[in-house]
Amino acid sequence: MKTGKTYNGLLAFLVNLAIISMFSASAFAVDDGARAYWKGRDGTQGVSVQYLNLNMQASDSQQFDPGQYIYANSDAEANIFIANYVRHMTLFNRPSSLAVNLAGGSVDVDVSGAVAGFLPPGVSVGDSFSQSASGYADPSIQYVINLFGTPPLKANFDLLDYEPTWTIDAAVMLGLPVGEYDDDKLVNLGLNRWFGRIALPIKYHFGVFTRGYMKSLELIPSVWLFAENDDFLGQKLENDPMWQIEAHLTNDFTPSFFGSLDLLYRSGFQSEINGVEVGDDLDIGNLGFTFNYQATDNLAIRTSYSSNVFGDNDLDNSIIRMQFVYGWHRDMENMKKLQGGH
Amino acid sequence: MKHEEKDNRSEVARRTFVKSAIILALSLGLSITSTVSGLFIGTGVAAQQNKRPNILLIVADDMGYSDLGSYGGEINTPVLDNLAQKGTRYTDFYVSPTCSVTRSMLLSGTDNHVAGLGNMGELNAPNQVGKPGYEGVLNKRVATVASLLQDNGYHTYMAGKWHLGVKADEIPHARGFERDFSTLVGGGSHFDSQWNIEWQTPKMPYTEDGRPVEKLPRDFYSSKNYTDKTIQFIKEGRNDGKPFFAYMAFTAPHGPLQVPDDWLRRYKNRYDEGWDTIRKERLARMQELGIVDKGVNTANRLFFLPRASQLAVGARKIQGRKMEIFASMVEYMDDQIGRVFDYLKEIGEYDNTVVIFFSDNGAEGNDLRGMYSGQPGTAGFMHAVNNFAENGHNSIGRKGTYSEYGPAWAQVGMTPFRIYKGWVSEGGTRSPLIVSGPGVQSAGEINKEAVLHVMDIAPTILELAGVQHPSTYRGREIAPMQGKSWVGMLAGSTQSPRGPGDWLGWELFGNRAIRQGDWKISWLYQPFGTYDWQLFNLADDPGEQYDLSDKFPDKKKELVTLWDEYVEMNGVIIGERSPFEGAKKALPDSVPEFDNYPPVRGMEAIPHKKLLELRNK
Repeated sequence: MKTGKTYNGLLAFLVNLAIISMFSASAFAVDDGARAYWKGRDGTQGVSVQYLNLNMQASDSQQFDPGQYIYANSDAEANIFIANYVRHMTLFNRPSSLAVNLAGGSVDVDVSGAVAGFLPPGVSVGDSFSQSASGYADPSIQYVINLFGTPPLKANFDLLDYEPTWTIDAAVMLGLPVGEYDDDKLVNLGLNRWFGRIALPIKYHFGVFTRGYMKSLELIPSVWLFAENDDFLGQKLENDPMWQIEAHLTNDFTPSFFGSLDLLYRSGFQSEINGVEVGDDLDIGNLGFTFNYQATDNLAIRTSYSSNVFGDNDLDNSIIRMQFVYGWHRDMENMKKLQGGH
Repeated sequence: MKHEEKDNRSEVARRTFVKSAIILALSLGLSITSTVSGLFIGTGVAAQQNKRPNILLIVADDMGYSDLGSYGGEINTPVLDNLAQKGTRYTDFYVSPTCSVTRSMLLSGTDNHVAGLGNMGELNAPNQVGKPGYEGVLNKRVATVASLLQDNGYHTYMAGKWHLGVKADEIPHARGFERDFSTLVGGGSHFDSQWNIEWQTPKMPYTEDGRPVEKLPRDFYSSKNYTDKTIQFIKEGRNDGKPFFAYMAFTAPHGPLQVPDDWLRRYKNRYDEGWDTIRKERLARMQELGIVDKGVNTANRLFFLPRASQLAVGARKIQGRKMEIFASMVEYMDDQIGRVFDYLKEIGEYDNTVVIFFSDNGAEGNDLRGMYSGQPGTAGFMHAVNNFAENGHNSIGRKGTYSEYGPAWAQVGMTPFRIYKGWVSEGGTRSPLIVSGPGVQSAGEINKEAVLHVMDIAPTILELAGVQHPSTYRGREIAPMQGKSWVGMLAGSTQSPRGPGDWLGWELFGNRAIRQGDWKISWLYQPFGTYDWQLFNLADDPGEQYDLSDKFPDKKKELVTLWDEYVEMNGVIIGERSPFEGAKKALPDSVPEFDNYPPVRGMEAIPHKKLLELRNK
């Protein structure tokens, strides 16, 4: 016979439903990540902490990362921590999110056989030298708004009707030049200039939009824009816009576990120092993968790896990422309190 | 030809040919004065034979009384609504509270306790096991209407649910259907995944023309494929000029609620406001149509069901989503029936086809999924784990899910009656009935006079086909049919095949009932009943709300005497165990009602938009 369990089971169901997405902030220097632009219910908040290990071997003068200048014949290793806070909201009756990113860590560079050009103080051509930097990187803030395909998600029952197919967002990010910067160093964590990004994340959801069956193809074309760094080893550094396309093919393996194939391609970003072009345009393509495990209703653990497999061969790099995301929504937390009794 | 009946086929065919010729001649001779005459008068034997009507018998599975548009439902059922306009709707048509029991009476024309389904085979009580009438399959004390028609010049086809036995001599092909595509069991996946709701037989067994079907096509969906097969059978058999009897036993909208993906959102948000609003709207339409009289007592919301407005909107939406899928299943079935009608029109047979449509029992409000998936540690539980554990809200209605819409929506389906499938209340035993075709008078009318029973269908079909029910069949004595032919009623010569003294009886799972005229007594397990007989007057109180036992003790006594007669006549054995004996404990407590709830006065449910407005204030 029927019992009341139909209604009791609903609570746990709604808890699971509420926090669809908690990733919504671009991490400086790497891709946004799979499912970064999935929408959460209005009022959902998330905090993410991630650790990144970047390794790079440059055989020619190249740039690495937006705004950084990497010396030729160098090996670099960076260990970066990024903290991120995101809040989903409804603005202009559209699902939106606002994220703040703080980053810091250290970068170590070993150069064998310095070439003529931009030599740090006390370094001569042919010298081998090392440099390192540590501290805060430039913080950034990002606002994302859905343009198409997602209704306002103000309440749980809005999520019940949410079965997206095509969605298009607009994302605007602004970086603030307040990070660690030493104008005597070739290597810094801060950029010493304003920078920003405009992105148009596009997603197609296929499969059943319920945990365990979700699949998506995500394309995030974007352009990075940089102001001028007027004190790059005493010189003026300018860069053309950097064009970037990020793609993810994601698939739920179980209700609490998904994976993604990741692609990141960057081009443009021609550097000019004192008005003279140096180095080449970027042409770096990374492929990688991500695994994400939803450990509890609130906590997700994510890891990813990528390395450059196409584009210019002069710059090898690999990125390992470990990320913890904790998300919550007031209603869900209160529901759990009630369910827990007195 | 492995079994005995098939071994004797040629001899039987010879005998039945002679017999049918005699019967035909007799019926022709009588036809000038009989009620059949108005339907099929011909000028000679050949012409008469050619004019015998095709019979298309369509049965829905667990569909509610008020689901069709022509019975007040909001579900889009244009094909059956048109059929109702062309034919006649009946308001007081009775079936059994569960499906195999109804089907046994449908095909045999006699009471289920005689035909072998005194109880559902799966649920026989220990004291019923092995007793005559409790074989759990359609027994050999009866001959099916299909067998009799097959022996008398009809093509006999079946597609859909059998549920009357799985052994070689129990399956459709052995019980009179020359062509069949059937699932032999009570329910399971509507898709090719083929899982059965019962773990004992993990895969639903299907047969085609008597042979097991090893694998279903990947794009299988029950209603579509049963329709495909029906059309195929008619097409392949039509060249010899013989009429056909086609039995379309849809498994929709029986749970699991499943429908092809492109039909999943056909009723998106249609049921968000909850069951109270929909039930109220249905009742209003039923009264407007004349299905239900104004001013009569309708059943209250069952005591353990909350007002829909007491549910959080999200919960209401999830409950509504299930009803959306149910509605899609009904509409899909309607659409498929339309395909058969279109084909019959294409080949010029539609106007020579009598169509009978009904549902096998009341809408399903029990937790079958819970019952069959058992408790952790049981085989049933592991069966559920392997086959239908998926429960995401956007998964409802898809493969791998087993959703039911529960008692609240079932009660909507059975508006204005009490309770639902499984019980011998009106909510378990009333079904919509539409009959249309050659000779059916009163097109578009609603007949509220006739008290009809599913046992009547076999004698009706036989009379339409000019076939007499024999006392022996293939060397064995068979039980007489207890049903009453409707042919006179269809022709308009009478309003009902039953007179004031006729009565109907039911017993299933220990619950029991008798109806005579407008009076009904019923004995139900608690909490719906009192473990005692209750007396209702259905003319004023179709919702069975007011027990008149104290007011009319003699009437009650009179009907209880009929119950004793029913037991004696049919060999009823009350089971010493019943699936409903624990119902009182299993059902939740009463839901409290508050005068000042819902917060917006005068509204049965808070519409979605209104709630958003309130929320944003």
